[in-house]
Amino acid sequence: MKIARPASFVAALAGLALAGCSRPAPDPSAPAKPRVALVLKTLNNPFFIDMQKGAQEAATRLGVDLVVQAAEREVDVDKQMQIIENLIQTGVQALCITPSGSKEVVPAIAKANAARIPVVIVDTRVDVAAATEAGIRLDGFVGSDNYEGGKVAGEYLIQVTGGKARVGLLEGIPGHETGDSRLEGFHDAVKNAPGVKVVASQTANWERDQGFTVFQNMLQAHPEIDALFACSDMMALGAVEAIAAAGKTGKIRVIGFDAVDDARKAIAAGTILASVAQFPSEMGRLAVEDAVKLIRGEKPEPEQKVRIELVTKATVSGN
Amino acid sequence: MSSAAWLANKGRQVGTLLGLLLLGALLSILSPHFLTVSNLLNVLEQTAINAVIAAGMTFVIISGGIDLSVGSIVAFSGVLLASALQAPLAAPLAIAVGLAAGAACGLVNGLLITRGRLPPFIATLGMMSVARGAALVFTEGRPVSGFEAGFRSLATGRVLGLPAPVLAAALVYVLAHLLLSRTRFGRYVYAIGGNEEATRLSGVEVRFHKTMVYVLCGITSALAAVLLTARLNSAQPIAGIMYELDAIAATVIGGTSLLGGSGSLGGTLVGALIMGVLRNGLNLLGVSSFLQQIVIGLVIIVAVLVDSMLKRPGR
Repeated sequence: MKIARPASFVAALAGLALAGCSRPAPDPSAPAKPRVALVLKTLNNPFFIDMQKGAQEAATRLGVDLVVQAAEREVDVDKQMQIIENLIQTGVQALCITPSGSKEVVPAIAKANAARIPVVIVDTRVDVAAATEAGIRLDGFVGSDNYEGGKVAGEYLIQVTGGKARVGLLEGIPGHETGDSRLEGFHDAVKNAPGVKVVASQTANWERDQGFTVFQNMLQAHPEIDALFACSDMMALGAVEAIAAAGKTGKIRVIGFDAVDDARKAIAAGTILASVAQFPSEMGRLAVEDAVKLIRGEKPEPEQKVRIELVTKATVSGN
Repeated sequence: MSSAAWLANKGRQVGTLLGLLLLGALLSILSPHFLTVSNLLNVLEQTAINAVIAAGMTFVIISGGIDLSVGSIVAFSGVLLASALQAPLAAPLAIAVGLAAGAACGLVNGLLITRGRLPPFIATLGMMSVARGAALVFTEGRPVSGFEAGFRSLATGRVLGLPAPVLAAALVYVLAHLLLSRTRFGRYVYAIGGNEEATRLSGVEVRFHKTMVYVLCGITSALAAVLLTARLNSAQPIAGIMYELDAIAATVIGGTSLLGGSGSLGGTLVGALIMGVLRNGLNLLGVSSFLQQIVIGLVIIVAVLVDSMLKRPGR
């Protein structure tokens, strides 16, 4: 019995000690700052790290205590729900959420509604039908127009290829509003160019390594592919490696989405042709500003569109 | 079991429970939000799904096996259940469809292991991929969402103030505990894990009972899928990724030996609660998800270290 050391205790202590180091203790004499939580899809994607930075800057400027949490895996909708439930317990005054699943996030928002915590949705929209059916209330949306971004990418491809291309597509996870809208925008753009044919379209689940393998397989099946539109840069960057492995660098025009740092470097190097830039740090900033307005009882804009921009070799140098 | 081994086993169980209580005490000091009724119910609700899967996993591990396919079975039975609900079938019938799918996957696992003589690791690794792929093919990768309120009450309902999923998990544990400790089947599970050959020579139908262990694990995975689908109001073909590791972790933290032959459901329940409380507490304290993974990994390692230290003097 004596040697029955409580197993988890030691480890938990170690973890909590680590945790203690990472967060400064609140100063009890200072007036209570408004507490805002930002729940991201994941923190291992530069897009969301930029969003966190923007949010943190706004929080510091506005004197907000910002808590940022994310599940380990982008697709883990239940873990995201658990995080939201737990944050509700800590009495945060506003929640900013990038939904891991457009429908699956709805029950979690219903819980926030019940706890009277305002919710700002960032980047990925909530499924309208599911939201209406559940009768949830959303207090704001901040994000870019993914459909428009896909369309811009498609139009650019038509322009640079002179309207003749055999296109492979790398999709996001099916059922994610962001990927679905980008794809729809792209399809609608190339519909008008009969010479542009989509010969293959598969998901690489937003992942860089899957972008590599899926596109490698696509090239095996369709060696005629001379253009690629990937619904995210991570997948595009994976595909770039597959193109290099096939010895086709420069022969396949790659357009990505998000314009993350690695993609900008690839654009400068010429391995990626262009990427649709979103401004995640601006999304983070606007989301925190909205949250603060909501805490003060003001009404933010119901829809805040964040600009999009096509980054090409000609425009990338500024970064 | 010798009396010394019995004592060591009891000591281990008490130790795990003590670990949970100390963890709770520590979190109560560190966060004012931890020790509230609503948060504790919240933790129980979040733990229910992993706990239900881990119940089936406990049978498998006591029998000396492993089941890596539970997460994929959650996805596969979940999407079948969801499609049945949208057919529309009455909720009890749709749930029966889901459970049958889980049982069928488990049956295939069991037959591959007992008749095909595949190692459990390999058979269930194959099933992990097949069931996941089947779920993706069946749904074309898309989630199946939106169910009637009756079904959703399995997640949103409350009985005597307790969330329905918590009651469901409690019921699973009571039944599973009776099955493991009060029936001949339960004794055989321990015997097979302790010494399969001796059990066979003493006239026990080892192949049948071993197969049933995997069927049982398939059914508990499908039950978890029912709870998860009701909770999210959606069944995703990519649901349950890495759930097998959470279930194995809960079982091992709870003192069940991966070598088979010993373990208990009470221990597994406490193990699942330790994981749930830890995740909840780390969220409440605002710890980054990266650090959370380190902490959970440390807990698993320390729990098993303690286990082996406990066993050494008895040898």
